[in-house]
Amino acid sequence: MAKKKEVTRRQFLNYSLTGVGGFMAAGMLMPMVRFAIDPLLKEKSKQDFVPVMETSEITNQPVRKEFKIDQVDGWYESEVTQSAWVYKDEKDEIVALSPVCKHLGCTVDWASNPAYPDQFFCPCHAGRYTKDGVNVPGTPPLAPLDVYNKKVENGKLYLGKPEPR
Amino acid sequence: MKWTESDIEVYAKEREYVDTAVVPLIPISLTSNLKSTVSMGEYINIISNELERQLKGRLLLVPAFTYLQSETQDSRTERFKKIEDELTDGGMKHIITLTSDVDWKQSEEHLSSGLLWMPAIPLEHMDEQHKVETISAQIKQVLQFVTNKWQSSIKG
Repeated sequence: MAKKKEVTRRQFLNYSLTGVGGFMAAGMLMPMVRFAIDPLLKEKSKQDFVPVMETSEITNQPVRKEFKIDQVDGWYESEVTQSAWVYKDEKDEIVALSPVCKHLGCTVDWASNPAYPDQFFCPCHAGRYTKDGVNVPGTPPLAPLDVYNKKVENGKLYLGKPEPR
Repeated sequence: MKWTESDIEVYAKEREYVDTAVVPLIPISLTSNLKSTVSMGEYINIISNELERQLKGRLLLVPAFTYLQSETQDSRTERFKKIEDELTDGGMKHIITLTSDVDWKQSEEHLSSGLLWMPAIPLEHMDEQHKVETISAQIKQVLQFVTNKWQSSIKG
């Protein structure tokens, strides 16, 4: 009989095989687990804010501002032009509306239809929105215009992504 | 709408609202006037993409009609007519062709579509801001052309 502390050849082989096997299994499983939980670990993609205009230029008349954002579409990276209608409402708060019509995606224009001087007008199918971006019932759009996430820093207006209401 | 699967799906659903096709006419040549040929194509590409963005809901931007600089105007017109026919058969009430190539002016009367010829503006030496302004000024004119076309068809 072997002494208590002594490791037999059989035991030694067992230990080393489980050890090596364990490493190998771990080597295979670790990446799998990492892949599986990856979406949880991913940092929420940072909201990119783009400077658009000086806040001092903003009046209560909507003006259209164009700005460029980088867009990655699959493998295709491109600069996309986006526009916003920017104005101050009665409470002196800055409003930035997306000009994309909620009907089929045309670009709406402020007061371009002489019959409706205080509304956003879509040239494609005559959709209309009031100044706060709410769709006029009876015209094709079924939802109000999207509103941009915004922030003001050092007297400049920064716009993020448009969010549906 | 663009010539992509996702946009075409919307198109298939909303066909009644989309009655205008936009076809850019783009020349190809590697042997003569290389640079001016390319700049025509680039300019028309920018204009048609921007037009699509502004009037997405009623326009379908179809792939460009390409032709060799050496092809005769008659043969180009002949080929292009077939595309016009296909678009009309598909339910397009208006076809808008955009080109920077002055040759097409000769065949304007043979075409059923509204031909819009605009000389290419060299954009390469402009800074970004200036470029955007130039293009949006040009686009305003094009929008006018398109909306006039729509309006005259309501009256007519």
